[in-house]
Amino acid sequence: MHKLYVHPLPVRIWHWINALGFVLLILSGLQIRYSGAVQLMSFANAVQTHNVLGGVLILNYFVWLLFYLFSDKIRVYHPELNPAKYFRGSLRQLWYYGYGIFKGQPNPHHVSVYRKFNPLQSMTYQVVMILLVPIQFYTGVLLWDVNRFAASIQLFGGVRVVDSVHVVLFIFFIGFILIHPYLASLGHTSMAHFKAMITGYEEVEDEPGRGRPR
Amino acid sequence: MTTVTRRILTIVAAAMGLSFSTVHPETARAVDAPGPVPSAQDQTCLACHGQEGMSRTFGKNDSVSLHVNGKAFAGSVHGPLGCAACHADVDLANHPGAGKSFDSSRAFSIARAAVCSQCHEDKAKLFEGSVHARALRTGNLAAPVCTDCHGAHAVVRKTPAANDVACRKCHGAIFDAYLQSPHGKAYGKPGPVKAPICADCHRAHDVSPASTGTGLRDACLHCHTGAVEAHQKWLPNTKLHLQVVSCPACHAPTSQKRVDLRLYDPVTKLDVTAKQEQARLDGPAGVGASSGALDSKALWDLMRGVNRDGTPGRMTLVGRLEVRSGVEAHQLTDKSKAIRDCVVCHRKGADPFKNVTISIIGPDGRPIRYEAKQDVLHGPTSVEALSSFYAIGGTRIGILDVLLALVLLAGISAPVAHLVLRRLLRKKQAAQKRAIGESE
Repeated sequence: MHKLYVHPLPVRIWHWINALGFVLLILSGLQIRYSGAVQLMSFANAVQTHNVLGGVLILNYFVWLLFYLFSDKIRVYHPELNPAKYFRGSLRQLWYYGYGIFKGQPNPHHVSVYRKFNPLQSMTYQVVMILLVPIQFYTGVLLWDVNRFAASIQLFGGVRVVDSVHVVLFIFFIGFILIHPYLASLGHTSMAHFKAMITGYEEVEDEPGRGRPR
Repeated sequence: MTTVTRRILTIVAAAMGLSFSTVHPETARAVDAPGPVPSAQDQTCLACHGQEGMSRTFGKNDSVSLHVNGKAFAGSVHGPLGCAACHADVDLANHPGAGKSFDSSRAFSIARAAVCSQCHEDKAKLFEGSVHARALRTGNLAAPVCTDCHGAHAVVRKTPAANDVACRKCHGAIFDAYLQSPHGKAYGKPGPVKAPICADCHRAHDVSPASTGTGLRDACLHCHTGAVEAHQKWLPNTKLHLQVVSCPACHAPTSQKRVDLRLYDPVTKLDVTAKQEQARLDGPAGVGASSGALDSKALWDLMRGVNRDGTPGRMTLVGRLEVRSGVEAHQLTDKSKAIRDCVVCHRKGADPFKNVTISIIGPDGRPIRYEAKQDVLHGPTSVEALSSFYAIGGTRIGILDVLLALVLLAGISAPVAHLVLRRLLRKKQAAQKRAIGESE
């Protein structure tokens, strides 16, 4: 085992602010959408909290974006351009999570500084960070001041369309928030990836080629 | 010449079909009675029309009084003009003749009131665009004309005391509700701010239907100048709320509310009045398709029909939360009792969303409403049919709640099941890891 510095400080700051913010956004969002059934806070406070957190997370998103735009670490998000290779890697990763892990087989993905995501993570995070999160922020901003952004809302197809997109993504992010920590616990110890996202250092096997599935 | 002599001569002259046209009105006025008195020329008319009980009959139990209180007329704003100013069409040589025939006394009164526009052209023009004038044009003879509010002969310039206001004749229940409101209680009382009465909010001549346009909201904000800022302190999306929620919906807290979905043309920025849309709503694709109340499928079909290929622009339904009756709209309370709890509306099953209507503007300018089922606000088809109206929580789409439940179920159960399975098979995993270690 040796330590590898794969999570630079700006990424770690962005990640934990984002994680906490998304949890609070989900809670306040549940309160807003399900007032009467959910009693976490008053509706007015939930709206206020949701608006403020939304603004904070939009700013935080630019921490992530600017860091990767002006750093060679952006290579971690470079897509695999060979589809056959990409799908082979994804299937191998899915096979590991769905079968190999129960048999004690090693994780087929080996972390390096410029390849910290496995193929499934790589695809998911690209879609999430480049498409879904911006859409969620954009629809959130439109709903924050419906009158001010009336023209954009009309272009989108109306306030109900904007809200429906926002809610569908809200539901997706709830699923993401539930699954993500569990998958993060599937390191060589259940806390390994959590510690890495605090210290920046991942503990990796000394021999990366070891234990590949046959 | 004494007054008595003058009056005798007037009656005689009237009987002979003459008038004192050569006598100057000012000099012809009586001098021994307090207040203005009719001119000599008018005395000619009053010789007959001043008699109590004089009337014209139009049919069985239908007559109109032709009696004129001379002193009241002389004291009115039209007193100096004299009878002939409005009754120039009277041919003294043949008066009283058969005259133009009318079906009813009301038709006669309406026709007579048209003379007002000769001098009051500006007010007549305003009136022509009013809901009252449009009601008249569509055959509603009960709609008021000038004389119904201002009087026929004892014409007054402005509405007198609240208890005598003309609107009360037809809108009595609403007026009684107004009298109990802070506006009604404060009306006429001395103070720095004058409380409004009917015409202050609904306008005097160009009276528009209360639930159309922005006139009433503008009237509230015209006096309550700090209202927008006061709402902005606690109400998110204040301008939107002020657009889509009528003021009484919150300021008449006990009122029953409804959501009215008005067919609207975003190109012309006007409510839709097209007769073909009314026919569509009345027809088999409209209320006929769903036993009296439109359901979400019928509404979706309807909107697709309205926006069929080739239709210029895309019509939409604009939602508005309003109170269900005019009486309730006037049961305003002190602002400390107004609704401030967001959850009154922003929750599933909230009362305001239990009553839904679809409306278009009818020929008389008033909305024609069609009952709709609650599901038009919650069905998945509402994304298209009702794209411009949404109230967080209150009109949420049910299928998205199902989707959320499924995601929660999967998001919790999948990791738990995966974890349990890993734990159950941990001996096998340990053996496998040992085997791998040994093989290396």
